Amino acid sequence: MEPFDLFSMRESYNRQQIMLCFNGPISRSLIEEIGNALRNYLAADHAHPSSAMDVFGVYIELTQNIRHYAQQKGWTETDASATVVVARNDAGHYVVSAGNIIEQADGEALLACIDELAGLDKAALKARYKEQLRKPREAEAASGAGLGLIDIARKSSAPLQGSLRQLTDGRAFVSLRAEI
Amino acid sequence: MSNFSIPGSQSTPAIDGDWDHGTLSMQGDSYPENSYELFQQVFSWVERFLLEAGRPLTLELRLLYLNTSSIKAMMDILDLLEEAHHDGKPVAVNWRYDPRNERVAELAEEFKEDCTFPFAIVALDSAASAS
Repeated sequence: MEPFDLFSMRESYNRQQIMLCFNGPISRSLIEEIGNALRNYLAADHAHPSSAMDVFGVYIELTQNIRHYAQQKGWTETDASATVVVARNDAGHYVVSAGNIIEQADGEALLACIDELAGLDKAALKARYKEQLRKPREAEAASGAGLGLIDIARKSSAPLQGSLRQLTDGRAFVSLRAEI
Repeated sequence: MSNFSIPGSQSTPAIDGDWDHGTLSMQGDSYPENSYELFQQVFSWVERFLLEAGRPLTLELRLLYLNTSSIKAMMDILDLLEEAHHDGKPVAVNWRYDPRNERVAELAEEFKEDCTFPFAIVALDSAASAS
């Protein structure tokens, strides 16, 4: 096995202003623990309480969506793997990115949904959010995935970005990026 | 008759239903993975209180961050109150928040938009002098 070059990993994390990153199976308690660490980092970074809450909220919705998706598909705990990065960009905005394996068709639907949300202004997003909130619970299973995406879009200062990398077996890796 | 209490955790609010006083308090963050499970018990308590108690019900809230599934569950509870209000039953919400975090006030404000019963959103600093 090739040795890890921890120094160059560190250099690249620092260069990209990555505050926190995670890759692997993500459990309910892990989401909470990483969330805790994130809150501490944000406090240490003197983030404004409301922007710290937005970053935390986006992180929670993204990671819980990944867990809900795997559960819905009946996948194992290990399949509920997530790749999560929280960073700052050059403008000083916090950026939360999360990626996971998804069925290609679901990934395409997700990206279409993101594209549609990108065209909505704050008022239209709010209207969409309230409309989704009023939909019967069965209409979106236990997750509230639709609501989560709209919530993320509302907390973001720029349109959500998504991309899909095709894998084998009709699966793909989807990445979502929210800038707060 | 029947009090009801769930201790809070990192991701769930502390919840206390006081049947004799007609108050339901909730405080803390709420972002459990399955909010429905947690809030179903609260929903049932409120439903039963409104049906049987014959007394005013007040929600005393000091909630902070809510994930979207908690928001949906909270809205179901407020819908119960709205229905009771239309039946002439006295219900109210007092939502206290730390003014340093305006997101909490905005969240409370969005709930309030859908309610016609008394719904007070009170900044914690002024809460002491106001009450």
